[in-house]
Amino acid sequence: MEFRPRNYIAEEESHALPRSRVHDHPLFTSCPPANHLQVDFVDHENHDFIDPLRAPATNEVVSIEGVQDGESSFTVPSKAATEAFVKEWTSFKRFLMQKFPVSKMVSISSMSDVIIKTSNANLKSSTSKHLEELDDPEKFAEEDVKVITGQEYVSRLHELKDEIKHAWSAGDRVTSLKLSIKVARLLMDTSVLQFYPTLFVLATEVMDMLGDMVWERIKKKAEFAEDGTRLCSLSENFKAHNICFDAKETCYNWFCKVGSTRELLPRIYLELAILPCWRFLVDRPEESLQRLVLMSRGLADPLASSFCRLYMAHCAQKLPSCDIGHLITSVNDVKILLMRILSTKEITHGKSMNNRGLLVSLMEPTIEYTMKCIFKDASQRQVGSVLVELGLGRNQVELFADNPCVSVVLHHLLKELPSEVVSSNAVELLRLIECSSDKSYDQCLNYRLLGFRLCERRPKLDIVNTVADRIIQVVTLHDKLGDFLKIVDPYVDIFLQNQMDNHLNTILEGVSERACSKEIVEDDVVVLHSILKKLLSHFKDLEYVFALNHFLEILDVMYGSSRSIIDMQILNMATRNGHINNPTTIELLFEVCHSLHDGIDFANVKDDDYQQPARLISHFVLMVDYGAEIEQHLTFLVECRGAFGSINELKETLVHSSNRLATKALKDGRKHLSFVKSCIAFSEVTIPSISAQIRQLNLYLESAEVALLAGLISHSDGLVDSAISCMQSVDLINGPLAQVDVDALVTSIQKLCSLLVMVPGNPELGVTYALKSILSLINSQSWITSRMKIKIFCAIISLSATLSQNKLPYNADLEILSNDLFYGDSSYVQELVSLSEHVLWNLVEVIEQEPSRAARGGMALEACNCIASSFKINNDIQPVCSKLIETAKSSLSPNDKYLQSTIKFLELQQPFDFTNQLRS
Amino acid sequence: MSTVELKLSRSNRIYRPSELLQGKIIIKSSSSISHYGIHLTVNGSANLQVRGGSAGVIESLYGVIKPIKIVKKSIEIRASGKIGSGTTEIPFAVTLRQPGEDNLERCYETFHGANISIQYMATVDIMRGYLHKSLSATVEFIVETDKADCLEQPVSPEMVIFYITQDTQRHPLLPELKSGGFKVTGKVSTQCSLLSPISGELTVEASAVPIRSIDIHLLRVESILSGEKIVTETSLIQTTQIADGDVCRNMTLPIYVILPRLLTCPTVLAGPFSIEFKISIVITFQSELSKLHTKSDPTTPRLWLAMETLPLELVRTN
Repeated sequence: MEFRPRNYIAEEESHALPRSRVHDHPLFTSCPPANHLQVDFVDHENHDFIDPLRAPATNEVVSIEGVQDGESSFTVPSKAATEAFVKEWTSFKRFLMQKFPVSKMVSISSMSDVIIKTSNANLKSSTSKHLEELDDPEKFAEEDVKVITGQEYVSRLHELKDEIKHAWSAGDRVTSLKLSIKVARLLMDTSVLQFYPTLFVLATEVMDMLGDMVWERIKKKAEFAEDGTRLCSLSENFKAHNICFDAKETCYNWFCKVGSTRELLPRIYLELAILPCWRFLVDRPEESLQRLVLMSRGLADPLASSFCRLYMAHCAQKLPSCDIGHLITSVNDVKILLMRILSTKEITHGKSMNNRGLLVSLMEPTIEYTMKCIFKDASQRQVGSVLVELGLGRNQVELFADNPCVSVVLHHLLKELPSEVVSSNAVELLRLIECSSDKSYDQCLNYRLLGFRLCERRPKLDIVNTVADRIIQVVTLHDKLGDFLKIVDPYVDIFLQNQMDNHLNTILEGVSERACSKEIVEDDVVVLHSILKKLLSHFKDLEYVFALNHFLEILDVMYGSSRSIIDMQILNMATRNGHINNPTTIELLFEVCHSLHDGIDFANVKDDDYQQPARLISHFVLMVDYGAEIEQHLTFLVECRGAFGSINELKETLVHSSNRLATKALKDGRKHLSFVKSCIAFSEVTIPSISAQIRQLNLYLESAEVALLAGLISHSDGLVDSAISCMQSVDLINGPLAQVDVDALVTSIQKLCSLLVMVPGNPELGVTYALKSILSLINSQSWITSRMKIKIFCAIISLSATLSQNKLPYNADLEILSNDLFYGDSSYVQELVSLSEHVLWNLVEVIEQEPSRAARGGMALEACNCIASSFKINNDIQPVCSKLIETAKSSLSPNDKYLQSTIKFLELQQPFDFTNQLRS
Repeated sequence: MSTVELKLSRSNRIYRPSELLQGKIIIKSSSSISHYGIHLTVNGSANLQVRGGSAGVIESLYGVIKPIKIVKKSIEIRASGKIGSGTTEIPFAVTLRQPGEDNLERCYETFHGANISIQYMATVDIMRGYLHKSLSATVEFIVETDKADCLEQPVSPEMVIFYITQDTQRHPLLPELKSGGFKVTGKVSTQCSLLSPISGELTVEASAVPIRSIDIHLLRVESILSGEKIVTETSLIQTTQIADGDVCRNMTLPIYVILPRLLTCPTVLAGPFSIEFKISIVITFQSELSKLHTKSDPTTPRLWLAMETLPLELVRTN
């Protein structure tokens, strides 16, 4: 057997594709042809269909005119608007029920007999009742309450709803109405407090249902005669004169029936339920709303009153014209109610002062919803008059700054005001907040809200300045960190946007004064997080942020997940813009990493949870660059290894970094050789602690390459050795290796072989020592499949053939001699040949033993190619090749491209007669 | 089986005296019926009755006073003959009152009170000889004043201003009410169209004792001339609450009471009887005592109540 001599330089030249210069970029298409295409396409399109987005503009004009005509006197809510309103109401109801979940037990007063009737409430037995009555008649009269579970109450209400529906469909409308009145009457009992919103939602669903049924019935009466013939079809915006006498009579009857309800509250609810029916009788149904809102003043109970107004706001939207006058009256009346609650010192309405907070929080959603309705479609001019009517504006454009408002009302007003009104009246609003400091709402939250609203639309500079100065004055009066942070949070944005550095400093100082001395609570950490986040995202340069007064102190008081998120954001910022050179910054970032690392609970998290922090820390380590201070850099790497030893990914980064450091040192010639040695030693020590063998292998190879580059042959020998031996301990605990890992291993071994081209053979252990180690590994490891064996055997044969050449295809460094050293030594070549021969037979054997036909064919061709390019085709080799081709032919189709190209390749390599043999 | 039914042309059954009462007689029968004539009778009368109340024992013994006839008419719809099987509809039309015949009483509006009831009935009778029971059906219809006789629109928006304080009360009050004092003012209409609500407003200006409720009672006053005495009875028709609980002071509350149909009619001052109305504004104060008397008549003066009663003239307008 004889290796084929190769001339690598000539081969490369002959195989390289011919190159020629071109004028046009291949991916850049020239314009004219494309245009042609497009024109054709557009023409085609116009004939076939109409693109709705490119529909003729005339349509649009028509629709606008239509709207203008209709709008003059009367606007009917479009279907879409109605749907939106229904959706909004549904989600609001859900919000109410979630905010105030059904409590376990509900005590209900005796008047709610409709609930008690069928549910098994804890009724006292008649005898005990009697005894108690004798005992203390007055007490008994007072405490005539029953207790049932909230769930029972709810299910009883659902039953009632069904009963009403059934009675209606059975034609028994009187019963429907009577039951509905009973349901409405339940809302009079506000002693259920926490349960009231749920009760409201369920009861108003019944009301709405009744309202719809009545509406449909009257509409049917108006459209159809008694015998079923159609009289007319009512348009969406019908008028009262379109309605026939009979339908009007029925409608009026409903209002009479409802109006005869004795109690005020159910009477209002029922009239609201059938409010849209006023349209059958009069053309301006919204006038009833003004009366109803005044009627609801008669409800002294603040909770009942505010929810009744909520239902009114809801029902008003069913009317075609949206007059907001009644809503404003409603808000003003609620304001008076609230002031009454807040000013009362003693027990009122049977509720103790402890319940005052609960009461206000129960009323709050009703205020919120009403405010939303008021400002839904309000124009700027309307907003002006709304403010005047709410008693907050002196005129259309000017606000009364010194008229205090109930703070919960102010809050929701502030929330809904258009942003341009907020920004132009910021100073007055601020003053308003200052003087509205009752107990119904946290004043700090109002300052905060104003800040957020101002962020939406930046006011004029003079306004910003005044507001900022004022806020600083206000906030310094707050000693509690929580309050301080709540107020300051949104204003940080404003200060940053307007470069108000002095204010920013004041705030940071304020925070550090209030936070750094004591333990801070979780809520405050969250706000603090938001503030720091703003600072970080505002400044492009991290060093500037670090230089801010107190920034680092404040960062240090944070903990928990907020801390980790901020740490990550800092690291993200740090590594975003390339290398990090400043030693101080590196130092600070190292501490940030430290805190991030400490925040990870390695024992209790899944891999995914700490991947992000781990990646950020690794990335940071990778981006650190000490420039010429390479020693310092290595020290840094050592420190990192000590600090973040538990992150696998990082250790890889450390090895890469130290290898890079070594390469960088090598660029300055050989004067840093001892430093390079330290780097390699660092790598060598670090690699074994990495858990995955495949990664270890690659890192060993990388380090070996670096060592070779530095001419440290003994180091590289050692590293190659470690690489091979690390494969011996491939971990099979988790079952057989995945295909990806197998491929990776093969690639690594192939890479090792190509590295070995440059490594001089060790004269003491024999030139083929490394190759033999690989071979013994292959034969000893159970996880090596036949497919892997083929690839590795081929790699070894190629390597041996390469090593035998006069001139190697590549060298590590001109100064280091490779195996060229042995050129001409016949024993050296002989050793390689004998090794190859041994491998060759192993190769053939493995192929023959391969059970799968298809795999066998592929392997045979691979082996054949390798053999033909490594050996001269002579009498020794020819039979081997023929045999392999036969094997391939027997298992693959004759049209197989690989087979054909392999045969062609063999033809080029050998004497004529052999070719004939192959063709046969 | 044979049935007869009377169906009026108007579903609300409201007719005016000058109008035709129209409708149809619907006879359903499984076999053909022979009859001796189909007659329709229209009967309207004011029924007066004295009982309890201010009437003495003797009067109540006599009880019912002879009804006052308003209208009585009978016409033959069909002469004797036969009606085929299945459903037969016979339309009819009757003049309630010819312009000429003024001998009878005025056509008062339908009214159902406690002692006075003014009622109009239409009855159909199918006479079938001795062997068969005659078939008949009766339906009540409602009479409203002729448009021509109505008051011209609009009713004068006459409002009466009222003050209710501890000093305007003629009955004893709780000591704390007497000493603490209260003042409720307002105005309310005293002449009112039957078609529009009673309107007005009310303001609680002051009250030392918390208010429990403010209600508007609608009362009817029926008077009957019985012998030489006038027997008058006042009864409650409808209660409408306008304030529930201790409402805010100095907030104006609207008074809005829809008049119930049938239970009200235009104020009548006839010779033998009269029907009048009143409204009563009743303020109930929070009091432990009131809880022991939950079932008592709300119009009775009590220690914890303050009230003001005003006359109310109801009129029919177009």
